[in-house]
Amino acid sequence: MKSVYLLQWQRFRRTPVMILSFFVLTIVFVAALAGNNPAERPAFLAYTDDSLSQEEAEDWVASLNSEEELQFRLESEKDVRDAVSAGDASLAVRLMKDDYRIVMSADDMTRFVLEAFLDRKYREELRFQQIEQETAASGIRTQTAAEMEEPVIQIRTVTLNETEEFVYDNQLQLLFGMTLFFSVYTIMFSLMKIVEEKRYGTWDRLILSPAAKWQIYMGHLAYSFTVGYAQIVLIFVLFKYAFNFDIGNRFGLILLIIACYTFAIVALGMLAMGLVSRPQQLQAVVPIVATGMAMIGGAFWPIELVSNNILLAISKVLPITYGLEALKGVAIYNRSWQELSEPISIMLLIGVVCMGIGLNLMERRTY
Amino acid sequence: MLETEELKKVFKGKTAVEGASLYIDKGESVGLLGPNGAGKSTTISMISTLLKPTAGDVRLNGKSVINNPAEMRQLLGVVPQEIALYAELSAYENLKFFGRIYGLAGKQLETAIQQALELVGLKERQKEIVKTYSGGMKRRINIAAAMMHEPEVIIMDEPTVGIDPQSRSHILEMVRKLNKEKGLTVLYTSHYMEEVERLCDRVYIMDHGKIIASGTKEELKSILSSEETVLIELDRPYPEFFKELQSLDTIKQASETERGIKLILPKGSRVLGKVFQASERHQVQIINVNVQTPSLEDVFLHLTGRKLRD
Repeated sequence: MKSVYLLQWQRFRRTPVMILSFFVLTIVFVAALAGNNPAERPAFLAYTDDSLSQEEAEDWVASLNSEEELQFRLESEKDVRDAVSAGDASLAVRLMKDDYRIVMSADDMTRFVLEAFLDRKYREELRFQQIEQETAASGIRTQTAAEMEEPVIQIRTVTLNETEEFVYDNQLQLLFGMTLFFSVYTIMFSLMKIVEEKRYGTWDRLILSPAAKWQIYMGHLAYSFTVGYAQIVLIFVLFKYAFNFDIGNRFGLILLIIACYTFAIVALGMLAMGLVSRPQQLQAVVPIVATGMAMIGGAFWPIELVSNNILLAISKVLPITYGLEALKGVAIYNRSWQELSEPISIMLLIGVVCMGIGLNLMERRTY
Repeated sequence: MLETEELKKVFKGKTAVEGASLYIDKGESVGLLGPNGAGKSTTISMISTLLKPTAGDVRLNGKSVINNPAEMRQLLGVVPQEIALYAELSAYENLKFFGRIYGLAGKQLETAIQQALELVGLKERQKEIVKTYSGGMKRRINIAAAMMHEPEVIIMDEPTVGIDPQSRSHILEMVRKLNKEKGLTVLYTSHYMEEVERLCDRVYIMDHGKIIASGTKEELKSILSSEETVLIELDRPYPEFFKELQSLDTIKQASETERGIKLILPKGSRVLGKVFQASERHQVQIINVNVQTPSLEDVFLHLTGRKLRD
């Protein structure tokens, strides 16, 4: 096992580009999308149509900016559209009297966050307007604001699994999502060496040696686990200390979660390899699996924003869903070990099942 | 030393090998001949314990190895048909890894690496990356990797496919030395008749998954001892002339070659007169006529009805 494991590192030394590129890509994506200023809020351009006067539009923007989640800047329609067309802004908003439109040139994961925010703000405003019209009451807004200072009833939103409200942290969402997403590529492409060995005959040489088959598999799996694990840990350390991302102080628990997630992805990679018959097919399958899993599992946008029941059901069998849930549980919600045991256990279960089926399929297949 | 008994392998209902029985004595060099798809590689895979036979047995020194392959693997060195090396590593690194996997370490490992490199004549270029090697050099390292643990039996599955004549000659000479000077037992498969004729003491001929003939080269050639071969060299092909020769009763087999026509006929038959008469009728220009004793190629053609490289 040790010889096979060391051989993979020797091979990595000679051809490090692929694995290092995923490491660099993760850093570039997270740094570019999340920035390095934790206080900075995502900013959007806004313009208005004829349904709102300039004064009303400015009031709207001020109202939107009064929340601490997002930032808006009012510009002319031409300037906004030019900025979106040129790619200087990925998203913009058209503010209307009782509705809004999102202007975009390409799909962007922050769309969901923006949409959820605007939806809530417009609902609130329209409700006020309706009350003002129907009751002809003046000062309802100031009265409500005053009442909200000392509310009669406090409503707290909870889900079955969580006791906290959904907290959106753009930086940690991107850091965790992108890191787990790119690690799928690193792990699965490093595992592809097994299929290559089987195809090019070196596997038979190993089988004919005194090394047991499980030792040969373990050498490969341990290598893939190590590169995947090291990539995730190094990126977390880099963003914590170099970019000041607040991932909390429970680093030991984060290391454990990463280990369980990496194991589950290694196992999923084995399953994928058991299902294909040629290394070339795996090169097509890996991006599909990685991207699909990241989209459904909440790596690109918070899964809390997804309302489609089918997608939510699929996400329940994806290790990335539980990896993100557990990481956010530690870094954002400060959950206890007992609360984290569920996603960790599910990741381990997925790992064991996929590994069992994957190994079985690989043993039956000729490449 | 090594024998197989009625080996059979069926893949998804299709029989690849059936009833393959062969034996190899210690220090012997045995050839396994057959065209592509004859079942040579499957037979070798079963002997080397890579494939489990559907039926039959492989015995090493009288002991069955089907259910206990570890013992067999220690004694075997297998040179696969493909270049089974890590292309991004150097020859030295490849050999070091394959030595380690067989439990070699330290000085013993270093000595084994240098001996193997010397054997294949690549000691000077051991630090170069394998993917920069020529096809012939890769083949030589492929053999060296199988020799690291000093096996008693070496199985070579078409080790000279796709290389230049010089490298081929080097490999054949190396195998001959290993067998004659170091007493290594060799099972050599090829579809190059001249390689088997040069290297092997005995030959098994396979076709359609079955062993159809076996024996020493002389024994096999004696199958055709009652026959002789006439090679007629022509300036160009003459289809009508060939047709007429085929129709002659005294000719057992006529086939077209690159340079003319090859006839197999009963020994002592007076056919040349008729050949010359036919050549005059068809205005054929004969450049050379050569009467030969049969070769292994002729035996193969006689037994299978096709050429070895068909």
